[in-house]
Amino acid sequence: MAKTTTLWQKGVGGRGGYKLSRTRILIADPLTIFRAAVVHVLVRESDLEVVEAANFDEVAAQVGSACPAIALIDLELPPNGGVEAVSLLSRLCSTRMIVWSFAPTRESVLAAVRAGADGYLHKEISPAGLVRSLRGVANGEAALSRDLATLMIDAIHSLEQRDRTRERMSVLSLREREILDHVATGARNRQIAVALTISEFTVKRHMQNILRKLEVPTRRAAADFYRTAQAELLESAV
Amino acid sequence: MSRPQPLVAVLYRVPLLCEALSSVLDDIAHVQAFPARRGDPVGLLRSIRPDAVVVDDRDEAESARRWAKRHHVALVHVAVREQTIDILRNGCWEQRPGATVESLRNALAESLFGRGDEAR
Repeated sequence: MAKTTTLWQKGVGGRGGYKLSRTRILIADPLTIFRAAVVHVLVRESDLEVVEAANFDEVAAQVGSACPAIALIDLELPPNGGVEAVSLLSRLCSTRMIVWSFAPTRESVLAAVRAGADGYLHKEISPAGLVRSLRGVANGEAALSRDLATLMIDAIHSLEQRDRTRERMSVLSLREREILDHVATGARNRQIAVALTISEFTVKRHMQNILRKLEVPTRRAAADFYRTAQAELLESAV
Repeated sequence: MSRPQPLVAVLYRVPLLCEALSSVLDDIAHVQAFPARRGDPVGLLRSIRPDAVVVDDRDEAESARRWAKRHHVALVHVAVREQTIDILRNGCWEQRPGATVESLRNALAESLFGRGDEAR
């Protein structure tokens, strides 16, 4: 469970007394300048308590003593990146997590969110923006600037497109894919027949089936689809 | 009357750098921050006449270099991501590893208060 530390208590049994709870925030970042800056910013907020980690092992040690309420994690946290720390915290704690980096990409934003992050920030964020994001996350909001939200939507659309492509490819038989592979290079039916040691008539039948299954009107459209699919699948493999 | 604190101008792309600097220079200098890449950094420096300049952008640092050398003003370039500090000495950059807030404070303190003028 995420931890809120009781900072100060006056009186006994609550009568006439008051107490202030502090929200524990873990800053996991290898760059000391950023840790120092965040500490300097958050020390002004009397209800926030900051603990630091410079790498994954230090995150694990912090989690071992008490789960933080919020974690701000650098994407490049050593040794294997911040997503590993996000996964660890997701498994062990109910910590609200924000990943941040210098140059967010749609892949890094998506990977962080899929691992369990509740937000993603650019490291060029203003101090006020950072405090606002941390407080927002603590209240259950997602911390995502407009430009990163756009990246995120792009990434989701790209994934959906990839899924649709996979689905369309899956209706083709192995032989049909072989033929489409040749078609995509500009080969004619006769050349394909020779390459695959089948008759030209069989190639034609396969082509008719390919066009029907892919729901495309022409051989050229089928070739275009195949090239796009190959590029998308290659990109997802990378 | 006490002597006024030296003025450190920070031209930043990473706003949190100013926070980090303020945290370590509180007692020894007055830190004034300006967003980088807004054009004419030399004009800005000419206007405010700082005692030291900290820049986290390579291009801005290069723009400020000639002015800093001519006016004998300490200039420090912080490569936040690479974690290095470049200090302008006799018109040339001298690189130091480890961009910690302490190393940054020490570099500035050396430039602002160090004896002799070789630091500039």
